[in-house]
Amino acid sequence: MGLLYGLIAVGLALIFGLMDVVNFAHGEFLMIAMYATFFLFAFFALDPLLAAPLVAAALFIFGAVVYLLIVRFAVRAKANTGMVQIFSTFGLAVLMRGVAQYFFTPDYRSIPHSYLGGKTISIAGIYLPQPQLVGALIAIAAFAGLYFFIHRTDFGRALEATREDAGAVALVGIDKNKVFALGWGLGAALVGLAGAVMAIFFYVFPDVGASFATIAYVTVALGGFGSVFGAFAGGIVVGLVEAMTTLILPPSLKTVGIYGVYLLIVFIRPRGLFGSI
Amino acid sequence: MDKAFIQRRRRDLIVAACLALLATQVPRYVTDVYIQNMMIMTLMYAALSQSWNILSGYCGQISLGHALYFGLGAYVTAILYTKFGMLPWFGMCAGGLLSAVIAMALGYPCFRLGGHYFVIATIVIAEIALVLFQNWEWAGAALGITIPLSKQDSWLTLQFAKDKLPYFYFALALACVAWFVTWWLEDSKWGYWWRAVKDNPVAAESLGVVVFNSKMGAAAVSAFLVAVGGGFYAMYVTYIDPESVMGFQFSLLMALPAVLGGIGTLWGPMLGAVILIPLTELTRSYIGGSGRGVDLIVYGGLIIAISLARPQGLVSLFSRKRKPAAQPVREAVAS
Amino acid sequence: MTALLETRNITQRFSGLTANSDVSISVGRGEIVGLIGPNGAGKSTLFNLIAGAFKPTEGTILFDGEDVTALPAAERCQRGIGRTFQVVKSFESMTVIENVIVGALVRTTNMRDARRKAHEVLAFCGLDARADVLASDLVPSEKRRLEVARALATEPKLLLLDEVLTGLTPVESQKGVELVRRVRDTGITVLMVEHVMEIVMPLVDRAIVLDLGKVLIEGSPKDVVRDPKVISAYLGDRHAVGA
Repeated sequence: MGLLYGLIAVGLALIFGLMDVVNFAHGEFLMIAMYATFFLFAFFALDPLLAAPLVAAALFIFGAVVYLLIVRFAVRAKANTGMVQIFSTFGLAVLMRGVAQYFFTPDYRSIPHSYLGGKTISIAGIYLPQPQLVGALIAIAAFAGLYFFIHRTDFGRALEATREDAGAVALVGIDKNKVFALGWGLGAALVGLAGAVMAIFFYVFPDVGASFATIAYVTVALGGFGSVFGAFAGGIVVGLVEAMTTLILPPSLKTVGIYGVYLLIVFIRPRGLFGSI
Repeated sequence: MDKAFIQRRRRDLIVAACLALLATQVPRYVTDVYIQNMMIMTLMYAALSQSWNILSGYCGQISLGHALYFGLGAYVTAILYTKFGMLPWFGMCAGGLLSAVIAMALGYPCFRLGGHYFVIATIVIAEIALVLFQNWEWAGAALGITIPLSKQDSWLTLQFAKDKLPYFYFALALACVAWFVTWWLEDSKWGYWWRAVKDNPVAAESLGVVVFNSKMGAAAVSAFLVAVGGGFYAMYVTYIDPESVMGFQFSLLMALPAVLGGIGTLWGPMLGAVILIPLTELTRSYIGGSGRGVDLIVYGGLIIAISLARPQGLVSLFSRKRKPAAQPVREAVAS
Repeated sequence: MTALLETRNITQRFSGLTANSDVSISVGRGEIVGLIGPNGAGKSTLFNLIAGAFKPTEGTILFDGEDVTALPAAERCQRGIGRTFQVVKSFESMTVIENVIVGALVRTTNMRDARRKAHEVLAFCGLDARADVLASDLVPSEKRRLEVARALATEPKLLLLDEVLTGLTPVESQKGVELVRRVRDTGITVLMVEHVMEIVMPLVDRAIVLDLGKVLIEGSPKDVVRDPKVISAYLGDRHAVGA
């Protein structure tokens, strides 16, 4: 579970690191991805595992469009820049939730049977639910891919350079908007992947994003905003904390543990675990 | 002295007094209970948003966890009334004080956090409180508290079973108080300190502003007023549970009118509430029907549109156009 | 009478990097003192230490005969140290007069008094005509003067000016020089950091030259300019070759 949290958070961290914007609609990106997976399954009987790449690609386009239509203008605002960023993505979140309720109805849906659904696998006597395991594997693969992508490809380098100094990058002829749009696309694609996997074992409903989004913010903040590695590590921490709190506290208090750890950590280290001071 | 400035301050006060007087006459002509309810909600959110604006608009510490103080106010009032038989007037004051104290206790660690870390901390703290209340048996847990209706209508117990009008006047008074406190603070040491802290804390510190204390002051005032609003809400709806008074949507609903109308402005929250709350209610009941999210669509679209097109809020449409900025003093040109 | 400001053996290290080492300077009442030196000499660090932006690793700072080393910036302002910033930090969403009122509120809580004081200071700095303009709408030279006005409104005994004359046109900087003289004439001591020697030298009573974090020399502007150490450390790269 921690790895999936990490995967959701990485997309957020990527966007934040790139342009100092927190996407408050991140949870809704996840929700859309889950719905997309669900409908691919419902109409085309496409197994979520096969749908995952498609969903990621669709979310990539969606993320880029969101940047070009909304965020591009938000960061340019002359007054109250900070508020505009927060509330424009917040507005998007509300809008997306509304749209989801309108078209998909507030019903809970789930994918009844998929290739992996409900199966368990036993490793050395420990039974693990297969979907979660595959999810973890996909998450690790995605991290590896992302790492490779950022460090080994031209676009990855452009991304890094833009995040270091957007002005200088413009001087060498890289279109800042293009890089940002691709960054948003990539961030959305990652959460798309996470959504596809999670659709296997979670109910899908319009508000599903909200609970995961808060956890994603916590995860990202834990890792130190903008650090992709930090988000990954933060995800694991959150996963562990969640597992531990369920042992000690009743399940209804699960989130309290995660949030409490967040507060504890930022109070001690106001820039997150791996953030530079 | 500064004539224009004094005139503007006086004009604000007169306009507010006239609007308030006008508002007291509205119920004479509007007898529809549904519309009356809408007006009460509008006034309440105007008051809440005005209070939120003190911390987040003037002092620049964006809180998305003010539902905590709203809920505390509601709970303290309800618990004191149902379990200890104390008058809601007392409960609202107690809730307000408790919230102010808690706001300062939370502010102590939180105000060291910058930007997004602070915003997320406020969300998270409110969520923790929500979960704790859901599990707190003595306070009704997830079932909440029902305030029993007394047989007699009375201003003492704020119970009016037959007629909603007294609630309307109470909400109006609440909005007036919140507005007046803002008006008063705007031209005070605190008001200037807050705006300085929002714009540039380092420069503020160099001018003798104790940044930390300023934030604490803003948090306390803001939390107190919001909690009083929460107490009122509890008496008005007579039934509260954690989700219905401490849910995240309250934090959002407090912030949005201010954002819409103009964050950090005197009139912004009022204007925003007058537009937003009726709009929400109307879409919910007329178009939305089965809660199919049209209200959210309208809402979200509106927020995006406003924050992109009018970051200063709708209030800026009313203020006279500023003299064009490009009018540098002569020596700059001469040189 | 004791000096208004005295630093004793100030040393400041930033994770291994020593910005100031063993700096002891003093500023007498009513003086205009220039703190100069090449880039990276530690002028700004010393300046920020005096203003209270951070605490020195070692050493003490005495102001008006009292130890202020441990006091935060706000408290120092209340004691009578006013400062400007090298990178202008106006309150952008507030008008010019409101910017200055923030400063004036250190001395009074009465809004009428604060407003009157702010108007006086603005008139003194030649910004009165722009009182109701948003700070963000000012041109750069006006923003510099606003910084000075804001600091003056706190009624300082010591005014710290951080490169207020740098980057201005000759006419603007001449006006700036006049302003600094007038400030001194009201009895306020001035300590100014400047990079451009040509502007400061005629203005200051005394110059302190920093190089590599240490006091290289201090004395009257004439002596300082002629000193070979200064020429090689600071002017060498430009004047020795150019002239």
